[in-house]
Amino acid sequence: MNADMATPGPPFDNAQGRQMTPKTQTQGASNAPRQGHMSFLSASRRVFDLSLGEMLWSRRTIFMGLVVGGPVLLALIVKGVELFGMSALRVNGQRVAGFGIFGVMIWMLFLRFIVPVLGVFYGTALMADEVEDKTITYLFTRPIPRGAVLVGKYLAYLACTLLVVLPSVMIVYFLLVPLSALPSTFGSLVIDMALLGLGLAVYGAVFAFVGAYFKRPLVIGLLFAFGWEQVVMALPGYLKQFTIAFYMQGLVPHAMPSDGVASILQGMFRENPPAWVCLSWLFSYLGVFLYMATRVVERKEYILEQ
Amino acid sequence: MSNKTRYFVAVTGAILVIGLGTGMVASYMGVSASVFTSAAGPEELEYVPAEAAVVAYANVRDVMNSELRKRFQEMEPTQEHKNEFEEKTGLNFEQDIDTVVAAMMPKTNLATNPEGAFLILARGRFEAARLEALAVEHGATIADYQGKRLITHHDTDSNDTSHEDMAVGFVEADLIAFGSATSVKASIDARRENRNVVGNIEMMRLVSELDNANAWAVGRFDAIASQTGLPTEIASHIPAISWFSAAGHINGGVSGVLKAETKDEASAQNLRDVLKGLLALAKMQAGNQPGMQAMADSLILSGDGKNVALSFTLPSEVIDVLEGFAKGRKGMRGPM
Repeated sequence: MNADMATPGPPFDNAQGRQMTPKTQTQGASNAPRQGHMSFLSASRRVFDLSLGEMLWSRRTIFMGLVVGGPVLLALIVKGVELFGMSALRVNGQRVAGFGIFGVMIWMLFLRFIVPVLGVFYGTALMADEVEDKTITYLFTRPIPRGAVLVGKYLAYLACTLLVVLPSVMIVYFLLVPLSALPSTFGSLVIDMALLGLGLAVYGAVFAFVGAYFKRPLVIGLLFAFGWEQVVMALPGYLKQFTIAFYMQGLVPHAMPSDGVASILQGMFRENPPAWVCLSWLFSYLGVFLYMATRVVERKEYILEQ
Repeated sequence: MSNKTRYFVAVTGAILVIGLGTGMVASYMGVSASVFTSAAGPEELEYVPAEAAVVAYANVRDVMNSELRKRFQEMEPTQEHKNEFEEKTGLNFEQDIDTVVAAMMPKTNLATNPEGAFLILARGRFEAARLEALAVEHGATIADYQGKRLITHHDTDSNDTSHEDMAVGFVEADLIAFGSATSVKASIDARRENRNVVGNIEMMRLVSELDNANAWAVGRFDAIASQTGLPTEIASHIPAISWFSAAGHINGGVSGVLKAETKDEASAQNLRDVLKGLLALAKMQAGNQPGMQAMADSLILSGDGKNVALSFTLPSEVIDVLEGFAKGRKGMRGPM
């Protein structure tokens, strides 16, 4: 994080903040500015402005580009195959139409893989990167609420990922779905995009908390997204209620094929709770974890090791 | 925010706005599917009136050249009968007809009086002069309708005033429309006024989902079920199906899929349950016969939400059995 946050508020006392620290520097609640000149919202907006550019042009964006570019490439291949009069995907001898393939890609690629991956990599890094780079000092010595730093960074993460993921989904949709089917399928696309937005928001909030609270957030995040969620979703019982994917799948508008391996998947999908239950839980996760992350940032003493 | 970031936000935002705008215009401003594509379904659909409840298609050339048809060829009418027909009409079904599209229009009392409800469009090579001469010989009249040649035949023997004249219209050089005079004229009007089934978004959606089928049918189930004169006891037990489609591919064997779209998810679940029961019964009955067992195993039920699909394959064992039956029957009839 650069130390050039714009006014209002006094400039940093010492741009070479690291030199001020002895062997270890403690950034505890007691060291935080007692009096903020900016409101929580204004401060969040400032941090958002600063963080968005940083996130977009970081090395992580290359990774994100590759991740969301995969489905676009896949859609191009499917389109190419269909242009030659062949079926790109068949289930039980039935051709899966373009919108069916789009539905599978939304569920299997975007909601089950890309959204959690982006949530883990960006969400856990919101605070952890600042700690690791030892630049958190610059932020915490500003006369702004500490929680606003996290909220601003979280909003930047959301904007950054949405600006990359949603256009990718749009391109995949127009590549896969025949234009004649557009009027009848457009509603599902809007639901899909809203779901992706909600997914990124919820995963981001959960992993923002993980990043703010735990020492090795990336490992914990990966274990949660690709260990806990994957295993529990395949098991019978109530444990899947402690995942995000369970509530996300209840809102997916696409029908899944129902035989062979797909039927096993369908078996998993049958326990879908009603949409209002899913939405309530997802928004609860979002609110609770974002609040907890903010509280952690406000209270935790970050130790910067030299 | 740097300029680079602003450009990025503008470009990605523009992609979203263009995509969403296109979709919204298509969904809410009543843009017809025909504006976007002519790829779904055969060109003959432009001659099918917009109100058609069922549309069916068969690629006669594919079916005639199929391995399956070759196996059953010797059970077809004798060459003598075929030559007689060809001599009179100049039409050889095997060589001159490429595709056939049939449409059914909704009509009250369809079961008791189907006249005027059907339209057939055949693409192929026709000797118009010869057909006209043959028709005139049998009392038909020739007239022009909207610049298209129309052969109309009035049944003078019938005293029924509601009886409709039959007609054949040469709508294109290689396309004829056959049906009642009213339906053939409606077909010509449908193309001329661009009020055809291609503008029916639901119907075209189902047609666009058909793939690799050389015979298919798509239609509104409720429009037919309400006019077939089924007893109320039976009609009330039929699940609330709104749309159906059936598609098959005929070559060495026969494979296909039947799909139904119900009015609500509960009806679809009900239909799936009934079909599951029937499939279980079929598998149990087919237990001892290898051919039937293979066929029963090929029946696969799928679908979710309001959709129900049943796919099937007639394996070669079953075709062997059917061929054996057919040949046996023919052999029994032969000496008589």
